[in-house]
Amino acid sequence: MKKGLLVGLVGLLWQSSALMAQTPNPCHCFLKGIIKDQDSGKPIAGAVVRIKENGRFAIANADGRYVIEKLCQGQYTLECKMVGYKPTSVPLSLEHDAVEESFALSEEEIHLQDVEITARKVEAPLAQTATTLQGPQLDQTRGQTLGEALKNITGVTTLQTGTSIAKPVIHGLHSNRVLIMNNGVRQEGQQWGSEHAPEIDPFVAKRLTVVKGAAGVRYGSDAVGGVVLVEPDELPNGGKINGELNTVGFSNGWQGVVSGLVQGSVNNWKGFGWRVQGTLKNGGNVATPAYHLANTGVRERNFSVAMGYRNAQRGAEVFYSQFSTILGIFAGAHIGNVSDLLAVLKNGEPFVQTDFYRQIERPYQDINHNLLKVKAFYNFKNQRLTLTFGRQHNYRAEYDLHGPQAATRPGLLFNITTFTNDLIYEHQPIAGKITGQIGLSGLYQYNLSDGRPLIPDFDQRNLGLFVIERYIRTRWEWEMGLRYDARQLDVYQFVGRVLNPRQHRFQSFSGTAGVVYNANSQLSARFNVGTAWRPPNVNELYSNGVHHGAAAFEKGDATLQPETALNATASLTYNARRLKVEMGFYRNLIDNYIYAKPQPEPILTIRGAFPYFQYVQTRAVFAGIDLTTEYAFSAKFKHQAKLSYLRAYDQQNDDFLVLIPANRSENTLNYNFGTILKSHDTFVSLTHLWVAEQRRVPPNSDFAPPPPAYHLWTVQTGGTFKVSKSRALDWGLSVQNALNTPYRDYLNRFRYFALDQGRNVSLRLKWIF
Amino acid sequence: MTHLRLSIVLTLLVGITGTFSGCKKDDPAPEDENELITTVRLKFTDGTNVQTFQWQDPDGDGGKAPTIQNVALKINKTYKLDVELLDESKMPIVDQTKEITEKKDEHLFVFTPAPASLLTYTYGDKDTKNFPIGLTGSVKTTAAGMGTLKVVLRHQPPVNGMAQKNGTATPGSSDVDITFNVAVTN
Repeated sequence: MKKGLLVGLVGLLWQSSALMAQTPNPCHCFLKGIIKDQDSGKPIAGAVVRIKENGRFAIANADGRYVIEKLCQGQYTLECKMVGYKPTSVPLSLEHDAVEESFALSEEEIHLQDVEITARKVEAPLAQTATTLQGPQLDQTRGQTLGEALKNITGVTTLQTGTSIAKPVIHGLHSNRVLIMNNGVRQEGQQWGSEHAPEIDPFVAKRLTVVKGAAGVRYGSDAVGGVVLVEPDELPNGGKINGELNTVGFSNGWQGVVSGLVQGSVNNWKGFGWRVQGTLKNGGNVATPAYHLANTGVRERNFSVAMGYRNAQRGAEVFYSQFSTILGIFAGAHIGNVSDLLAVLKNGEPFVQTDFYRQIERPYQDINHNLLKVKAFYNFKNQRLTLTFGRQHNYRAEYDLHGPQAATRPGLLFNITTFTNDLIYEHQPIAGKITGQIGLSGLYQYNLSDGRPLIPDFDQRNLGLFVIERYIRTRWEWEMGLRYDARQLDVYQFVGRVLNPRQHRFQSFSGTAGVVYNANSQLSARFNVGTAWRPPNVNELYSNGVHHGAAAFEKGDATLQPETALNATASLTYNARRLKVEMGFYRNLIDNYIYAKPQPEPILTIRGAFPYFQYVQTRAVFAGIDLTTEYAFSAKFKHQAKLSYLRAYDQQNDDFLVLIPANRSENTLNYNFGTILKSHDTFVSLTHLWVAEQRRVPPNSDFAPPPPAYHLWTVQTGGTFKVSKSRALDWGLSVQNALNTPYRDYLNRFRYFALDQGRNVSLRLKWIF
Repeated sequence: MTHLRLSIVLTLLVGITGTFSGCKKDDPAPEDENELITTVRLKFTDGTNVQTFQWQDPDGDGGKAPTIQNVALKINKTYKLDVELLDESKMPIVDQTKEITEKKDEHLFVFTPAPASLLTYTYGDKDTKNFPIGLTGSVKTTAAGMGTLKVVLRHQPPVNGMAQKNGTATPGSSDVDITFNVAVTN
């Protein structure tokens, strides 16, 4: 594969001094940016950036950054050259107080005289912390679920049900409080369930970005705790057919994963590109340090196809993906009532212990999610119109241990179909200073369920309208936005066997205001206040039954009001040659926070007495700190630290909240040998993770106290064999939980029943062609 | 240019149609729990005298509270005890006892009197591996007094192909866990 240059021009140009703003000097513009490898996302040190017209140039520093100062206004062409890469050039128009043009460029087969630029606007809100996993960092997570992969981002943890189901938790919030944008379309499945993992194949993504904090204006309802952006690469635009083949093997569960991707363009049909991608996964019983977990196998079969046409002015693409999985649910976690649960807790280990076994039996989940997306854009007179249409269908069948009507019918069956439409208009820059977009989002969804009554059938319609404006001036960048959402929810509840339809209407305004201050090329600060809302989910309104996994009887309340979050975030980024620091503070105040509150009297059922939980609302506050540091002792040896601290509190009842992730810190030492035995960028790293005991829990709220703190060690090594100019073999070997430490995590719902996963050796090979 | 505009308009139309024209869908139907047990009947037979006491929750979990009949027995008698399980939420009523008979190798009833001196239970049936089931048995009342009888149905299906039922209550999970008040009189 030909190497392309990825040139990110960050905060492209502005006057060099705030004082100069009053007396504009035509030759005080400056230009800065970062140069990155398109494939790996790694900065390219030593790349030369040159202005064609006047010969002024700069050399990118170790972080790929460059600055050219004291430029006069005018039209220029910026060229970028580096040995081993295709030269790239970008036309520039330097003006005072010019607009921010934060974009990432990727282009192959560029001819200097025929420059064609594909710009991808940075999606995340300007003043909020957004962390992206890409390149080698993302490669190291290959084979893992989406939730596990995102754990590498500070402030993100997981809510697990056993070892195969992991949901991302951002700043202590999860499920319906975290929005996942799958390739630009909001992911709609049964995300309310804590044992319902996101139905996404992470191999589709080239970038996984987490926007931390409430981002309701840009993304709409549910973006209370944060947003996960799952983004594939742009479709190829010229160049030969290329691709990659990933294979990953895990010792624990003897899990194997194969994922391939092929992409190309069409000869003599410039602008057309296509991509085909697929993944297969197969694993058996997972082992803890002491025993195997019966029936914890997993099967996955996913594919996606995409094709599209684009040029500088217009383009359209069609994307279709299908995700299918069968997940075994740990047999030892099946309980009929509270006595069963208490018996396991007393026993200290599961009653069911088996050897390695690949077969999946009841109970298991059979899930299928498919997405069709059509996107078109049109650029005209500095304006841009983008339309994204999505249709997704989520099928979730949960097979209980019981075999009703032989093995044919699932105990629980959900079918949810969602249509989404997003129209975004980006207007012409106003006075060269203000850029912005106006968006209209529509959603229509219907859900049909069968089996054990849990939630009623429903359909809902949502309409959202938003405006976001950015004002870029000298070192300051401002962003403000406003959104209005209206939702109508029609519920088809049966009382006995009589249909009793109910209708709910919700509406909400959301707002955001943020500012970025770039002190110099190394130091910047961000501050943002944003709100988001989340109408109560159908399970919170109408659930009325025993939640078997939780050994609890849950009762909804049809009078619940929407949750509203008011979230302030502040962060400081320092990016020097040896030291990099990112420090973020947040405080998220959630009004009408919905949770299941334990009731004093248990509910008597034929399976015995169950603790009774009623959905109620309160005022909750989530406040914390995320800290990431990286220090390079030398060019080869570096240390990285990640720390997250969170305190969640119920202000109305003066008490703590349940299921809040414990504080944690992670330290990594990484040594890069350079080239060793023809393997380039060969490294060895050692990681230590410490997760504290969660002591902030409400009294008498749980069957067992939170598990004690634990330490986990991970060793990793990897590198790249360059076979030819366009072919390479990436390899990686890692040992997770290297000391085979027995531990339980507070946010693993199966912690009552069994230990967490033991040592796991994995070998990862990626063949790039 | 013209056909691009056309294609945008088309995409818009397709999209909007998808969003707002109620798409073809199935009508909502009441959910059916596949294997609900709403009623447990204890049939005590003493010669020709048949007494039935039931624990009944016809609307399933939650909703209306269950109704539980008090068991009244005579002292120093041996009753034949048959257990019957029903799903009365469906029409016609589903006899769930058959399911237990069919899968006797993975089910076990456990009867626990309190105080223990109130009565003794003896299993009267066996599965294919000679472990008791408890659909049929006998109850001998030994002391006069008030107490309770706990009836638990353990579901003990095989795991990873290995049979779990071993004649004890430990493996598996509870399908039924109910308690009757019992009065043994002279």
